[in-house]
Amino acid sequence: MTTRHLVDPAVLPALEAFPSLRATRETLPAMRAAMDPLLKGAPVPDLPVETSEIHIPSPEGHQVRAILLRPEVLDGAVPALLHIHGGAYIIGVPEMSVPELTATAHQLGIVILSVDYRLAPEHPFPAGIEDCYTALAYLHDNAATLGVDASRIAVMGESAGGGLAASLALLARDRGAYPLAFQLLDAPMIDDRTCARPRNPVTGEFIFAPADNHFGWSCLLDAEPGGPDVSPYAAAARATQLEGLPPTLIATGALDLFLDENVDYAMRLISAGVAVELHIYPGCPHGYVIAADAPVSQRALADKRAALRRAMAL
Amino acid sequence: MTTRHLVDPALLPLIDAMPPMVLSDASLPMIRAALPAMVKAVPLPDLPVTIGDVMVPSGEADRMVRCMMLRPDAMADNAPAILHMHGGGHVLGMPEMNAGTLMQWADALGCLILSVDYRLSPETRFPGAIEDCYAALRWLHEEAGALGIDRTHIAVSGESAGGALAAGLALLARDRGEYAIAFQHLEQPRLDDRTATSATPNPHTGEFVWTRASSHFCWIAQLGKEPGGDDTSPYAAPARATDLSGLPSTFIAVGALDLFVDECLEYAHRLIRAGVPTELHVYPGCMHGFGMARDSAPAQRAQADNIAALRNAFSL
Repeated sequence: MTTRHLVDPAVLPALEAFPSLRATRETLPAMRAAMDPLLKGAPVPDLPVETSEIHIPSPEGHQVRAILLRPEVLDGAVPALLHIHGGAYIIGVPEMSVPELTATAHQLGIVILSVDYRLAPEHPFPAGIEDCYTALAYLHDNAATLGVDASRIAVMGESAGGGLAASLALLARDRGAYPLAFQLLDAPMIDDRTCARPRNPVTGEFIFAPADNHFGWSCLLDAEPGGPDVSPYAAAARATQLEGLPPTLIATGALDLFLDENVDYAMRLISAGVAVELHIYPGCPHGYVIAADAPVSQRALADKRAALRRAMAL
Repeated sequence: MTTRHLVDPALLPLIDAMPPMVLSDASLPMIRAALPAMVKAVPLPDLPVTIGDVMVPSGEADRMVRCMMLRPDAMADNAPAILHMHGGGHVLGMPEMNAGTLMQWADALGCLILSVDYRLSPETRFPGAIEDCYAALRWLHEEAGALGIDRTHIAVSGESAGGALAAGLALLARDRGEYAIAFQHLEQPRLDDRTATSATPNPHTGEFVWTRASSHFCWIAQLGKEPGGDDTSPYAAPARATDLSGLPSTFIAVGALDLFVDECLEYAHRLIRAGVPTELHVYPGCMHGFGMARDSAPAQRAQADNIAALRNAFSL
């Protein structure tokens, strides 16, 4: 069955123009090389936000690259957002989100750090999540220098970045050193078991299909997805205890491959006493926001920024 | 355990002013008797919308069903329409409870609104109320020309028990195949009688305003027997429907602390899997009935979402 008739007409043209990924371990390097200039070349709005590249030393001794966005004028100690880009755990760079994040930093008057975590399959779990943790530690440890209020640090990610954000919230809770005030999970990729479950008949036709999901998880886990011993810091849906997680926003499209795991995670968070906001946008497959001017994309962006404002008491 | 710490601070005055209703055979007549004066005490907005009563044939002998009709003074021809069902646990309530909100919708959307004064339980058991709503749907379709409305743009809408009636009516209209519904707009709908009897209730829902005990009382009143049995009709408890395909596009909104949040998520998820275009919003820190705090930020936001979804459904 095709789900084309269910897709919001305003996002359909952009989805149909988007090339299918269908990466393999062999094609991945060339694919990254081809995408890199596109991802890094997106025009950034001309706003009074200072952008710099920083390198954070990790406990393992390597450097974690990150993009730091700081409004030129800050009003006292401001909240901070740790951002984690998407790309199925195997592709992507922080620069692809810098245009949107620059506008967010400006509108909200907050500091944003977007982390260039190590990608699979070269660096399987837990390399990526540990890089995100290093970035979180940096924000906390340098809060005073950065002008950041350490009690208002949130994490946000899209797709695989949402998966890392959800796992980071679990890891930060469990290690107990660096609290998070909020987690914003945008169509998060949080459950490797989706690869092994019967397919939802209406999800996963566009942009990100079950084969892409299987490849991404296989690379991250360096094992067949759906196995018995997957860490919740790799696949957050594997966590059995969700108590004590920060307030959460989950937003996803009704036709997104991750719909089932996102709804389930939201439900479990609510049952665990976590403050949860959930939005499901009709007619939207994974990655619909590439149709950036579509009303639903604008709506989703406004919902995200409104949730950040509330969570950060802005 | 209390869930007060999860409540949006803007809603604390509401829950402090409004302890959960304790419904019983003894308290129900008193609550019903007090309601009209409470409703009258709320001033209506000054908007160019005319409100009046219409009497709609029930289809049974000469019994008529009263409805409140709202019509924008400058309504365009061939306007969309909303068939609205009020809340109140199926045991109390009246269309006038929502007159202010419905005036705003009629004004903002330029649409006709009909809100049904359906028969209440326990005096009238299932399916009395939903048949009254069906009669109102029939009337809207049959009188569409005279009313100046577009039969292809009729939405059903309701909150709480009214949401159950709206969802049940969408199922009934689909199955009878006589009168089309373009959109179902469900606010904190009560969809599943099994919630009232669940052995593993969600520990973070149903503490404020509307409790599991109230819900249980109302299901018995409506069904005339214990809820959660094997044979509850999907027209009473829409979550009982096994096939959701072919239902109209759907909007569901509910608070994260609402007794009905689980069944709303589940119903939305099943609708999506059945190929029904579905929009869902779960508002953090919000309990059942949070819309009563009309000037609070969460309520204002939910109202904006309501109007945006209806506007979209009507292609306005």
